Amino acid sequence: MTIAAEPAVQVQGDRVSLLRVLGPAHVWALGVGIVLVGEFTGWNFAADKGGALAALIVCWIVGLLYTSVAMIDSEVTSTVAAAGGQYAQAKHIVGPLMAFNVALFLVFAYTMLEVSDAILLGDTIVAKAGVEGLNHNSFIAATIVVLAWLNYRGVLMTLNVNFVITAIAYVSIVILFLSVSPWTQGAVLKLNELVTPGNALPYGWIGVIAAFQFGIWYYLGIEGTTQAAEEVRSPARSLPYGTMAGMITLLIAAAMTWYVCASLMPWEYLGITYYPLWDAGKLTGSALLENLLFIATLLAALASANGCINDAARAWFSLGRDRYLPTWFSAVHPKYRTPYRSILFLLPIALAFAFIADLNQAITFSILSGVLQYTFMSINIIMFRKKWPLGSIRRGYTHPFHPLPAIVLFCLCVVTFFAIFLGFGSQLIAMVAFYFLISLWFHFYRYKFVRRGAQFTMPWPKPQGY
Amino acid sequence: MARYTPPEQSKAGQVFDIAVVVVAIFVALWLPLKLGLAGAAKSIDALDAKTWEALGQNPTMASIWEKLGYTPETAHDIIQNRFHYIIDWPTLIIMAAVLIGYFIFLFRASDREYRDVINEKFDDK
Amino acid sequence: MWVALSYACWGISIVLALWMLYDWFKIDTTYSEEMLTSSREGELEAVSEKHRI
Repeated sequence: MTIAAEPAVQVQGDRVSLLRVLGPAHVWALGVGIVLVGEFTGWNFAADKGGALAALIVCWIVGLLYTSVAMIDSEVTSTVAAAGGQYAQAKHIVGPLMAFNVALFLVFAYTMLEVSDAILLGDTIVAKAGVEGLNHNSFIAATIVVLAWLNYRGVLMTLNVNFVITAIAYVSIVILFLSVSPWTQGAVLKLNELVTPGNALPYGWIGVIAAFQFGIWYYLGIEGTTQAAEEVRSPARSLPYGTMAGMITLLIAAAMTWYVCASLMPWEYLGITYYPLWDAGKLTGSALLENLLFIATLLAALASANGCINDAARAWFSLGRDRYLPTWFSAVHPKYRTPYRSILFLLPIALAFAFIADLNQAITFSILSGVLQYTFMSINIIMFRKKWPLGSIRRGYTHPFHPLPAIVLFCLCVVTFFAIFLGFGSQLIAMVAFYFLISLWFHFYRYKFVRRGAQFTMPWPKPQGY
Repeated sequence: MARYTPPEQSKAGQVFDIAVVVVAIFVALWLPLKLGLAGAAKSIDALDAKTWEALGQNPTMASIWEKLGYTPETAHDIIQNRFHYIIDWPTLIIMAAVLIGYFIFLFRASDREYRDVINEKFDDK
Repeated sequence: MWVALSYACWGISIVLALWMLYDWFKIDTTYSEEMLTSSREGELEAVSEKHRI
């Protein structure tokens, strides 16, 4: 991976567009970078909801959900390669109103995830410093502004940075795992004494279902790889490859994280700490590991926020480009070739929420928008195969066992909605009410500014049944 | 089918639309917090005897709590702070109805708009 | 040390935010709105394939 010199003002005729410079490693860095922070905080709230064993069960079952997401997403996006990812998919397959909603899901999920990352980073530094009266706001502001600046200056540098910091954070999990001699229990790890038949599922199976809500956090955001579609050199190949490699990486990281953390902490503590891996580092008694995991927590939070700014801005930009929102947002920076106005517009919104919301709430908003989006994806793929059966258009990747992944995904989404109901039901209703109202606004007012046929940009034949 | 030409939106109209969206976002995220709707039912089941045994912690667990700087007294509020999962059927039914209604509206309205798009796109050629 | 770091963070945030605002203003006044918003979905392939980057 070399850092190509970004051409100065490169304008074809009188047009500027996003720059196609990314390879599969960047796609991996974007996907895993966003998600990996979930191992450093968030997944462990699943233990709070249902016990240590519940956290492991949801790690696997939600892993299955996300494997379906990754497979489905890879097929559709290797065919619909446009910035906005799932937004462009929805526009071509389901229809404009759905696309508008999907784009909002994306912007919400990523912006709130970015907010959570910034809060986590600020709180981690404050906890490390242990200085009376030190406030996390300055660290939050620096995180959001510096990363927005990085995104403003160009996508290649942004994702090169993400690749490096994500890799360091990932390697630190592997180092932690290897240094606690995972092959022997009893020396450092005491799984059988910490997770006993009596406390493995303290709330029974209802606790396992409730744990789904935060089980999502192990992998939330892997589907963000598709946002890079317009900037990847060969999307049909790189996107499936980077997404699947990312998913495998994350499954391994999630399993290692659970094993180490559950073997080092009682579940009651694991469920409430904000820094499970950093605490695990502390509990090994090694200062080196403790500091390594402290730094890795910060880097993971940075990588995630960085990817989120990238993705949220792409989705917002696409909305502007199709006039779903004022076209003003669809400007591309002539020199850096980034959707700079979208980046700048979302910056103060993220800052405002980071200053006023708390970590749990920001995470919940993000999860809610994510699950709404996965529900859409399961229906979307079925419609995609129906309107354009295999063989009717060129697909970069075809996922196996259709429609099984779609059905699995849909069922798991229903379970997750129920889990959210157990914890945050009123918030779910409030959010859906918001999406409903804004959909009415779009359908009956805003849509009149949108060109009709011009939205459909793929060189495909007419869909079947129309 | 005639090609649909959207009206040009004035600058003021664009600014107004942006403002609508921003306000809507803040209200949606803000209202649940303000109304205190956020958060699950968690409450402390207080115990009289504050020892590791009474809290259900074996010696290994107790040693880890102590390593983390807790005593039975300070850990009590963490360990005994439990969820009480109660399925409130009316809320569940409202939630399910809202969700299903929302998705039905989405797909039906989208389909109506989608047919226009397909007609215009493929009949022009 | 941490308090100094905290002030440094505010400093960096303000400087970079001001730089972005300045750059935004400069770009918006230098180039025409038509040119800035000329990106089109799906047309990228044809345009970018010509250039080896």
